Amino acid sequence: MKPADKSAVHDFLVGLLRQNRDQRPLADNEPIFSSGRLDSFSLMQTVVHLEETFGIDFSGGGFDMELLDSVDDIEALIDKKR
Amino acid sequence: MTNPPQPGRSLRSWLAIDEREGVVRFAQSAAGRIAIFAFVLALLCLPQVVKRLDPPWWVACTLIGLAAHAYLPRFRGPILFAFTWAIATLSLPASPMAYASLGVFFVLSWCAIVYARGCPGHLVARRPVVTLLAIQLALACVASMLPGGGITDSVWSFLLVSVGGYWFLAYAIVDQRSRDRSPDLFQMGVVRPFWVTSSTPIGKGAAFLRRHLSLTPHDLAVTQIKGVKLLIWAVVLLGTNAALYRVVILELGIPTTHDALAAFLEGTPYPILIGWSAVIFSTVHTSLAVAVWGHKIIGLARLAGFRLPRNMYRPLESRTLAEFWNRFYFYFKEMLVDFFYIPAFLSAFKKSPRLRILFSTLMAAGVGNAVFHFVRDIGLVQTMGMRDAIVSFNSYLFYSTVLGTGIAVSQMRRLSGFVPGSTPIARIWSFICVWSFVVCLNIFGDESRVHTLFERLAFMASLFGAG
Repeated sequence: MKPADKSAVHDFLVGLLRQNRDQRPLADNEPIFSSGRLDSFSLMQTVVHLEETFGIDFSGGGFDMELLDSVDDIEALIDKKR
Repeated sequence: MTNPPQPGRSLRSWLAIDEREGVVRFAQSAAGRIAIFAFVLALLCLPQVVKRLDPPWWVACTLIGLAAHAYLPRFRGPILFAFTWAIATLSLPASPMAYASLGVFFVLSWCAIVYARGCPGHLVARRPVVTLLAIQLALACVASMLPGGGITDSVWSFLLVSVGGYWFLAYAIVDQRSRDRSPDLFQMGVVRPFWVTSSTPIGKGAAFLRRHLSLTPHDLAVTQIKGVKLLIWAVVLLGTNAALYRVVILELGIPTTHDALAAFLEGTPYPILIGWSAVIFSTVHTSLAVAVWGHKIIGLARLAGFRLPRNMYRPLESRTLAEFWNRFYFYFKEMLVDFFYIPAFLSAFKKSPRLRILFSTLMAAGVGNAVFHFVRDIGLVQTMGMRDAIVSFNSYLFYSTVLGTGIAVSQMRRLSGFVPGSTPIARIWSFICVWSFVVCLNIFGDESRVHTLFERLAFMASLFGAG
């Protein structure tokens, strides 16, 4: 995954945090959903963002929140799918 | 040591005893650990508490198991396993058929977990909820068509014994695809953990529990103190609920919603103001009962070392219906999201964001909600027959459909950028909107199945002066 793409993903997640009035910084390896910083609605917004931006299809069954739980996890997922 | 509390902050400081190093240090000592569990034992064995919650034998066995889990970290898996299945056995009616049913459920659960791990592409692994529900409903249909005796009674016994663990088993199957899969003994030990008195997976599954497990003695002490605080709060709410019931129902003579509805149907309705008082008080009473029960389960889990989020968290501060759904019954919402919302969202209406959210939310808060409650009460199919069990469920079906629609609309407003105001007036208005919806809808959420949907609709119309 290109550094610019990873940065864009990071900014997207930070944008979601700001919408939820969470001003704390976000580290690339920090759990976002399992820690409760973002809820399931934000998880689905992230899914939509990844579908539209990177063309990832999550509908095959076996979806796991761990796949998207941090910026690093998302980078690994995108690299695997490509 | 923490500084003495400042004037004006003394209550908050006093309540935050888990932040005082002296208290935390004491909780890590042998004397402190004994004090924690002795206090909780005494608290949960108070006569009024025992009358409304759990029997003393269950409390004592559960506390022994929780203490063993907390203080013997090397043996947590076997401890969970042993206490969960021992207390499940002791909680059954003394009947060979019930014991055999539990044994069958135990074996089938372990087989399902191992099979899902070995065959991740199979339907059981990919769609555990659909598979388990299909099996359960098929068994119920077959048993309801067969004559009584022998095999039929065995099938019903199995259904009634196993229904409490279904959703926990679903989480256990899903956990098999995790990259940090839980050990088998731990997994089987949390197929309805021994401190959970509910069909709803309060604490979700093994993966969630392990993520929230306190790993150091300091963290464990803080978690346990938080657990004690939550249990004290549960008992305070229990007492408050009992006092309110005495004052409102017994002293003031306000009827329950059930009695107000019955009086309306008999042609002797209460005045509209009394009717609304009944409906409002019933909502308060039910909400407090859910709070007590959820706090008790989470408080006990925290004594074991699991620093779990509360099941109910300040629902009066909800500013939207979607937020209320998250605050009022967190683990039920999580279960519906995990098993209904996410699968629906990932597979349907991808080209239409609004329709996608609407459909997924209805599948969770509507369909999933209804399915959970129908399946939980599968025993009514045995007593009423399948047809009457479905017909008598129509009120709850209406309730879950309206609830799902309301939450979906709330989420779509959020998607459109709607942010509720933060001023005092705006907060009051949000409170009125959210809780008015909840109070009105609760007329249909009663799970007694005594009154039909149309009777409840007519009663509600009468509260607005119609009919």
